[in-house]
Amino acid sequence: MEERQLSQHESLLLIRQMIETAKKEQKDDGKGWIVWGWMLFVSSILTIANLHFKWFNTYFFWNLFGVATVIIFLYETINILYFKKRTGVRTYTKDLFEKLNTGFFISLLFIIVAINTGVLPTKGFALLISLYAFWILIYGTALNFRPSIVGAYLSWGFGIAALFVKTFEWVMVMHALAVLFGYIVPGHIAYKEFRKLQRKEKPESV
Amino acid sequence: MFKELDPILHSQLRLAVISLLVSVKEAEFTFLKEKTNATAGNLSVQIQKLKDAGYIEVMKKFKDNYPQTTCKITPKGIEAFELYVKALSEYINK
Repeated sequence: MEERQLSQHESLLLIRQMIETAKKEQKDDGKGWIVWGWMLFVSSILTIANLHFKWFNTYFFWNLFGVATVIIFLYETINILYFKKRTGVRTYTKDLFEKLNTGFFISLLFIIVAINTGVLPTKGFALLISLYAFWILIYGTALNFRPSIVGAYLSWGFGIAALFVKTFEWVMVMHALAVLFGYIVPGHIAYKEFRKLQRKEKPESV
Repeated sequence: MFKELDPILHSQLRLAVISLLVSVKEAEFTFLKEKTNATAGNLSVQIQKLKDAGYIEVMKKFKDNYPQTTCKITPKGIEAFELYVKALSEYINK
């Protein structure tokens, strides 16, 4: 293909088209939010049911969640190391998210250990909700994704409520609502938008 | 008086590559090829021209026995791109 000189308007259009193309790479498919959101939501709901019907010990479903998390973590690690195809591009946002993810999981473990070593689970789960909200807000702000920004503030609201409710059952209700509005709803919106973008045609040949 | 448009950037493929690189941290050759729909040969030539102008940095390494070329825009490239867009705006708003 020969080099082609462009008119000023063509140049601007091309710049816009390429920047839009690069921006698509920064778009998140929302799958992470959906998977974790549903896992956390189901665990909360099953814990409420468990408290009501007394099937197992109080934290049975959270222990199950812990086992599932370890399995998913191992699966993802193997997948990334051996099978996942590289995207061929590094963006500032992806790099930032990788580092923040590490910080998020360390803080998460910190609270989980605290719950297991003396901090009341009722307060511990409120702290977890607050941590979720913080990460959701960063994600929403970095990607300019309004559903996550709204979800973060709603989650904080449920987190504050969780600090003051009397029973663990109600803490679980607040936790379920926080992940519903903070993780699940924005996750599904992000996934829908991502699919819509993918369906759009590829840029014309340059 | 209008500024002259940078001849290095005022070409379809080179401008496409710079516009992509200005939006990301770094990109592999395969990514640039896919997004611009250019041929490998032409893309290599234009990348070399951008590199010679000091607008991009090209890093070559081997990964799993395959050559891997990664490109990254330099501060000089960013400045040239900004000047180019400014000059374009002046032309369009005249």
